[in-house]
Amino acid sequence: MSSVSIDRQARLPRGTDLLRFGVPAALAAVLLVFAIAAPGFLTLNNVAGVLVNNVALTAIVALAMTLAVAAGGTDLSVGTAVDLGSLAFVSAIAAGHPVWIAALLGVLAGVGTGVFNAILIARLGITPFLATLGTLFIGHSLQQLTTDGGNPVYVSAASIPPALAFIGHGSVLGVPFVLWLLAGLAFGTWLVLARTRFGREVLAIGVEPQVALYSGLPVGRILTLVYGASAALAAVAGILLSAHVNAYVPYSGNAYLLDSIGAAFIGTSLSRTRRANVPGTLLGVALFGFVQNGLLLVGWNFYWQQVGTGILIFGALLLAFAGRGSAARGRPGAH
Amino acid sequence: MPPDTTQALTASRYPGSPASLRRPSAPRWRNWAVAVGTQGLRAGGLILFLAVLGGFAIAAPAFLTPANLGLILAQSAVLGILSLGLTLVLITGGSDVVGGGIDLSLAGTLGLSAATFANLNQAGYGDGACVAAALAIGVTVGLMNAVAVVRLRILPLLATLAVMNICEGLELVVTENTTVAAASPLLDGLGQTGPFGVPVLGYVLLAVTLALGLASRRTTLGLRAYAVGGHPEAARAAGIVPERYVAASYVLSGGLGGLGGIVSVAFLNSATGGSADMLLPVVATAFLGFIFSRRLVPTVTGTLLAAVFLGSLSNGFQLLRLSTYWVNGIEGALILAVVGATAGLSKGRRA
Amino acid sequence: MTSPSGTPALAMTGLVKSFGPTRALDGAGLTVASGTIHGLVGQNGAGKSTLIKVLAGLVTPEAGMVAFDGRILPNLRSGDAEALGIAFIHQDRLLVPTATVGEALFLGREAAGSGFGLWRGTLQERADAALDRFFGLTLPRGVLIRDLSTAQQQIVQITRALLTDPKLVVFDEPTAALARREVESLFAAIERLKARGIAILYISHYLAEIERICDSVTVMRNGRDVAHLDAKATTTSAITRLMVDRDVTELFPRHRNRPGGPLLMVTGLAVPPQVQDVSFTLRRGEVLGLTGLLGSGTKEVAKALFGLAPARAGTVSVAEQPVVIRSPADAVRRGLALVPEDRRAQGVALDLGLRENLTLASLGRVSRRGWLDRNAERTTAERLVADLQIKAGGLEVPVRTLSGGNQQKVALGKWLARDAGVYILDEPTVGVDVAAKAEIYRLVAALADQGVGILLLSSDLDELLGVCDRVLVMYRGRVASDHRAADTSAASLLDATLTGSRPRETASHAA
Repeated sequence: MSSVSIDRQARLPRGTDLLRFGVPAALAAVLLVFAIAAPGFLTLNNVAGVLVNNVALTAIVALAMTLAVAAGGTDLSVGTAVDLGSLAFVSAIAAGHPVWIAALLGVLAGVGTGVFNAILIARLGITPFLATLGTLFIGHSLQQLTTDGGNPVYVSAASIPPALAFIGHGSVLGVPFVLWLLAGLAFGTWLVLARTRFGREVLAIGVEPQVALYSGLPVGRILTLVYGASAALAAVAGILLSAHVNAYVPYSGNAYLLDSIGAAFIGTSLSRTRRANVPGTLLGVALFGFVQNGLLLVGWNFYWQQVGTGILIFGALLLAFAGRGSAARGRPGAH
Repeated sequence: MPPDTTQALTASRYPGSPASLRRPSAPRWRNWAVAVGTQGLRAGGLILFLAVLGGFAIAAPAFLTPANLGLILAQSAVLGILSLGLTLVLITGGSDVVGGGIDLSLAGTLGLSAATFANLNQAGYGDGACVAAALAIGVTVGLMNAVAVVRLRILPLLATLAVMNICEGLELVVTENTTVAAASPLLDGLGQTGPFGVPVLGYVLLAVTLALGLASRRTTLGLRAYAVGGHPEAARAAGIVPERYVAASYVLSGGLGGLGGIVSVAFLNSATGGSADMLLPVVATAFLGFIFSRRLVPTVTGTLLAAVFLGSLSNGFQLLRLSTYWVNGIEGALILAVVGATAGLSKGRRA
Repeated sequence: MTSPSGTPALAMTGLVKSFGPTRALDGAGLTVASGTIHGLVGQNGAGKSTLIKVLAGLVTPEAGMVAFDGRILPNLRSGDAEALGIAFIHQDRLLVPTATVGEALFLGREAAGSGFGLWRGTLQERADAALDRFFGLTLPRGVLIRDLSTAQQQIVQITRALLTDPKLVVFDEPTAALARREVESLFAAIERLKARGIAILYISHYLAEIERICDSVTVMRNGRDVAHLDAKATTTSAITRLMVDRDVTELFPRHRNRPGGPLLMVTGLAVPPQVQDVSFTLRRGEVLGLTGLLGSGTKEVAKALFGLAPARAGTVSVAEQPVVIRSPADAVRRGLALVPEDRRAQGVALDLGLRENLTLASLGRVSRRGWLDRNAERTTAERLVADLQIKAGGLEVPVRTLSGGNQQKVALGKWLARDAGVYILDEPTVGVDVAAKAEIYRLVAALADQGVGILLLSSDLDELLGVCDRVLVMYRGRVASDHRAADTSAASLLDATLTGSRPRETASHAA
């Protein structure tokens, strides 16, 4: 039988298994280097600061991206969901609604973009990349129209509800609220993807959509849930962002787009089978966050930080993709 | 006009040819529908284009003046040149955006090249040195992408994303996030209005389009580049080395990004930040261009038409004093309409 | 330059090649004479593909010799073959779908002095001339490859090979993607090549094809050439014995039971424009064949039953309950299962693991309140691997690494996991080697014995006669005739397929 191909495949993973440690190793190296180079780097204060300021929001958006990537797509409109979530949230608070209602409206606004994406992708069969690109443009227009060309909406300093302040800056047991929330969302997303029937169905669609359909999976419903959940997660990030700055600032969500794509894809290197996964995504986001902070501490200015991060992402991709090419080439032929 | 695909079905008219080469009657209907749909989409694209131009011309008499049309062309120059770069990458990479070819670094290249040009200009270097530096930066970025995609086999979406981050960072380093003014004989020349009231920048766009259009339509290189994107294995079997074509398309795309930087400095008389905002319009333009091709593939002329179309939209809205806030939304809806219709058609074709 | 007919154009001897611990070639060889058609057969893994790769210069042998056209070729490299006058026709059509016929035909050798000045019109004219010269065929100007039929694409592919003026043409499973009638036109094309004095090496799983067109045949087994036979003087069963090294008289095991009550009833099914008015009843424990020419509507019937194509009219009932099926999910809920023809794209997820594939259709059974039960999942997968004798390197290996036959068992096995009641098998043994084929037939018989109903779409008449209780023949969108397998012959099935005639013997069994 095809013992040839089996043997060849059996040998491959060993090499690629090493690469699975590429991203964790890179993160460890980054931590080590900066711990030596910048004395303040590994202090509790700094690490907490990085987690709150550089990691938390990006991580939540990256979780949203992870869902889409796991289902075989990309969600370019996560930034739109962040913005619309933020816009609805701040507008509701500015209109005097309680914070919980505002938060609900924010999440619903996000889910709206998600459902729009889902209709485009699941019903009309448009590639996720282009569908969400279209949503992104429409979302941009929507923000321009509602804010008269991009004016921020502020919650006046005098009337900031305590709940809003808590969301933005509060702590529980000495740990900032955003980190609790991130932990909860990350754990939840991980559970769903790795341990549930739904997660397996998402994975099957991500790997081989036609086979999933032919196996009787309700592909349209699953994709709707995926893009709805993705946008809802992004909207949560939008709510956290506006609670942090007490304002809605138009188009600010797009800042998370590229990092979240990068993190989700770099995270796939953590999986033996190269699938999007929550721990990998979180490691990717952490890598970006700590590098930015470390470069700042060793005295690089903001501009060079960006160059540094870019090079670092490139390096991480290199690690993640090394060996992959040969794996593709090593695939046994049609027979 | 080449015959449309419907005629494929009446394949063999020679009595001696094998009977089975005539298609069985059943799928004929659907193929006909798909063929009509394909041509309808294309015709629809052109009709929409002309209808929009016509609408603007009636509503705003100033729209159809040569000066305004030239202005549209000049305004579309940067977007058009970058989109042409992306078009080349899409041609050799196939249009599967995640697995195939895409160059997200174009906008970053534009920014870095413009910043370099303006800075060297400020430092007193001549036009030759500035142009060489700007183009060299573009080509270098393209080379990086090519190595990452072809040698290191990183997913193009991710590789060019990382390169874009690097470019944007370097742009900030060069400009320190300020606007750098630039003035030189070359920039003056590019800022002039040429024959027929069309600005020189418009001619630059047309010249680039003409050169790339000829190369893609009238040379074996172009034919092979399409083959590489359409079916890499078939290209390989025909003795073509797909990697070379893919690499070349990224390098050329980078070069066009560099050129875009120069044109942008000429248009604005300075290098300004915010080039990243160009990224998504560039992607949108290149994909929108598909509808202007019979085969629904990326083409140089299709991309030019798409760029000019989007340029006329903004221009027309301004002339009519309509809110330009709508423009993005209309662009988005257009992309969705186009790819939605294309997706529907390819579904019909597969079935 | 053509060698006189009968002298060997190609001689390969004593070839050895190992991949790791496996000897893919262990002293293999064959000779092909000019103006003859030489068959090459063997199970998957027998070494046919490696042998061809040696010839194409894609694999360097460790020992052995290749001689072509009177010259010994010590180290063949990729690309040498074409220059020497050897052309390869693969089962995958290597044509650019968005290219015109002219572009596809001349890709890579567009003109003598390539560069600027390529005129597509010129390519088109040259293409028209070539198609006309070799096959007397005219395709419409400007038509794109993707709009041609499979057979037309195959002809373009062959024409492309002929443009290099080859002395030897290697056909590697050329009929795998063709409908039966298209196969005939391909054979006619191959005969034309033979008449031109070209040597032809023809590789196929279909022994009937070998018998039909080949002059001589080489049988490979375990990396060796075990026999060189005169194709006209041998029988397919003799070849089969040589291939498997054991008798496969039990290729078609009969199931024992008699069909029971109605299980799947289809009345007046219409899927315009391919299917007009189809009615039939599949009983419990029955294997019902469904066959017809390409375009006769069999595929659309299967698609409509499984919710993949919208039915315009008609009713379907499962176990005497009327059902409405709008999607595969609906179909699966009603106990239907589909093993699609395009196994690699639709049947199994190549990049998912064996365990994940086997439980994909029965996730509800291996999860509790939405949570996956990993133990239940593993148990299910292990049981299926044992029951179906799936050969794989473990439960977690990607299905891509399995052989075609084992992949097909996975595509079937995922439905066993949910105890489906009605199986629709679409060409389940295409591209599957003889041993795996026999196992699939055994499985079909065992399922029928359990009272499952099986609708078998096939264009292999021997398979239909060997496996089915009844065979329905479709012609132009309708069920033209209904045959009891025991009372009919391949000839009368073929006749019904080609003409839609209704043989007398079947009249009484019509559903």
